[in-house]
Amino acid sequence: MMTGPGISVDGLRYSYGDLEAVKGISFEVQPGEILGFLGPNGAGKSTTIKMLTGQAMPKSGVAKVLGIDVTSGNEDFQARIGVCFEEKNLYLNMSAKENLTFFASLFGISDLDTDAVLRRVGLAGRANDRVKTYSKGMRQRMMIARAFINSPDVLFLDEPTDGLDPVTAASIRTTIREEADRGAAVLLTTHDMFEADELSDRVAFINNGEIVAIDTPENLKLKYGTRAVKVRLRDGDGVREETLPLDDGSHAARLAELASSPDLLTMHTEEATLEQIFIQLTGRGLEG
Amino acid sequence: MSRPVSRAAIVGALLKKDFIAYSRDSVYLALTLVVLLAVPFVFRVLPTDVEETIALGLSPTVSQMVDESRDFLKEKGIPDAQLDRLDAADLVGVREGLLMLEFEDKEQLRDAVAGDLEVWLDGKEVILRDPDSDEKKPKDAELVRIMIGIAFPDEFIPSVMGGERGMEVTVFTYANVDEETRMAMASFMREASYQLAGLDPPVDIDYTDPEVLGEDRAGEQVSLQEKMRPLLLFMVLMMETFSLASLVSVEVLQRTVTAVLVTPARVSDFLIAKTIFGTAMSFGQALIILLLIGGITGSNWSLLLVTLLIGAVMFTGVALFVGAAGKDFMGQLFYSMLFLVPLLVPSFAVLFPGTAAAWVQALPTYPIIHVLVDATAYGATWADSWVWLAYAVAWVGILYGAGLVALKRKVESL
Repeated sequence: MMTGPGISVDGLRYSYGDLEAVKGISFEVQPGEILGFLGPNGAGKSTTIKMLTGQAMPKSGVAKVLGIDVTSGNEDFQARIGVCFEEKNLYLNMSAKENLTFFASLFGISDLDTDAVLRRVGLAGRANDRVKTYSKGMRQRMMIARAFINSPDVLFLDEPTDGLDPVTAASIRTTIREEADRGAAVLLTTHDMFEADELSDRVAFINNGEIVAIDTPENLKLKYGTRAVKVRLRDGDGVREETLPLDDGSHAARLAELASSPDLLTMHTEEATLEQIFIQLTGRGLEG
Repeated sequence: MSRPVSRAAIVGALLKKDFIAYSRDSVYLALTLVVLLAVPFVFRVLPTDVEETIALGLSPTVSQMVDESRDFLKEKGIPDAQLDRLDAADLVGVREGLLMLEFEDKEQLRDAVAGDLEVWLDGKEVILRDPDSDEKKPKDAELVRIMIGIAFPDEFIPSVMGGERGMEVTVFTYANVDEETRMAMASFMREASYQLAGLDPPVDIDYTDPEVLGEDRAGEQVSLQEKMRPLLLFMVLMMETFSLASLVSVEVLQRTVTAVLVTPARVSDFLIAKTIFGTAMSFGQALIILLLIGGITGSNWSLLLVTLLIGAVMFTGVALFVGAAGKDFMGQLFYSMLFLVPLLVPSFAVLFPGTAAAWVQALPTYPIIHVLVDATAYGATWADSWVWLAYAVAWVGILYGAGLVALKRKVESL
């Protein structure tokens, strides 16, 4: 059982030659928490995961996973992490069962219930089929299943639902939430603002290697977004829309007037999306 | 929840995974099967004996030459009895690696050498046959390929014995007769002419006890089959190099190695597993082939096994390098060729007589080939071979080290 933060990062930096990909970022992920790393391609999300999983050595700063400094040469933390890579790096000529059994054996697990693991991600009926016969969505589910086999204390999920259909994506999000509820600290990178909003307990906006904001989605929206009410009214034979900002209180009388109007059709509160806030903070969109 | 796991268990798991991946790949399997079936077959059909006899044709026949110069020879005081013996001389047959056959005229001899006329030998009888004719091939006769023909001019014996200079003897040689043999025939004719003229050559050469410098292998001619043995063993190692390089390359390109290295497995485990797998596969197959094609005996088995093991590690090193360097199939092929062609040269060098050139001896695979040939063909022992093996081990250190470093750097940079 974890006592401290699952992930603790302070002033972490990484460069590819002259290009500084990660510029002194700091954050923590607590047990049971999902931190969404939200940013466009090339923002530094995957590089951060590489450093935290021991694939790349930070140029400077402190990065601890399960209290172990990843730069110390002590790689014991790798027995307690699970990683879902952006690329589907599965052994294609092996079956799902063989893939899972192989990776389980690297963790010293000899009695893995592969059927249960595969059932969890909806692949129970294809356990003995070679992975090369799987669709993109099925391979992605296999990636998730592989990341969970050692019941990790820390999960690194790099774009886990990228390119999936909505039903499969929703199913994978549910599984990720279950892992966090079990107590795992989850670092989730995505450029899908809907996913970040739905899954993350906190969101970090990362752009050009820097974290420009980090907080709960709710707080980010409150802090950076604009609240408003959108009203639709009958206007003769047509329909008229009116938007009333709520933050400054100057539209309270107009709002009351519209609420009692016989022409009122619908009235909805509106809040800023994470993407709008990201654009507001960085001047660029998430798809860039 | 993960449990403590030993390095041996991790390497074992990696080996099991490699074996599954290998056995599921149709290309690797096809390569392995082709090697295991084709190599022993090729070996069996190779000639097992050494053809050391040169078929030499003469025209005209000795009796024709004696008849046309009988009067002159009598004048020179050669008794009739001696001339009769010469007339009846039986030149057809094998003498010291030379099969001599007589032809009645120069044209016949020329056609026989050119292959336009088949020459069959039935005991002592020479049968000539036009290959384009409907004439049946002689039963129980042996087809002889005349490599060299010597056509003497008319009145050759009296002219030479009379001291005439500038007699022209025509020598026909088949296209594939080497220059050395042609020159030897010319010398042979020169010497024969001296003797016919009653002159002794001005030098005495004792051929019976020559002073041989270096290893004397006269009389130890090796058949093509035996010469090909090390080459075939090397083909096996080379094929496995392709397979292992491909296995490594796929792991790198598909980045499955990255997934392995975020578990308790280390880069060293990965490298150890690949080394064991590659060496075991190539050594195992080379051993199977060696058992199938023979050459292993009670006295040379340990030397052969160690030599093959050194070769297997050397090629594994090459495979690790190629697997790490090739960015795609073409890249892998390029690097494979870059390494394997020079490494294969020494195994071809043993097919040709004489000592290999210095640059061939400097190649990493030369000491391995040398020991394989010496152990299988000439009964070499550990005492004869340890220097060569030490030389091979030094090269293994360089090649395997390069492969290891290249793959380690590649894996760590993913």
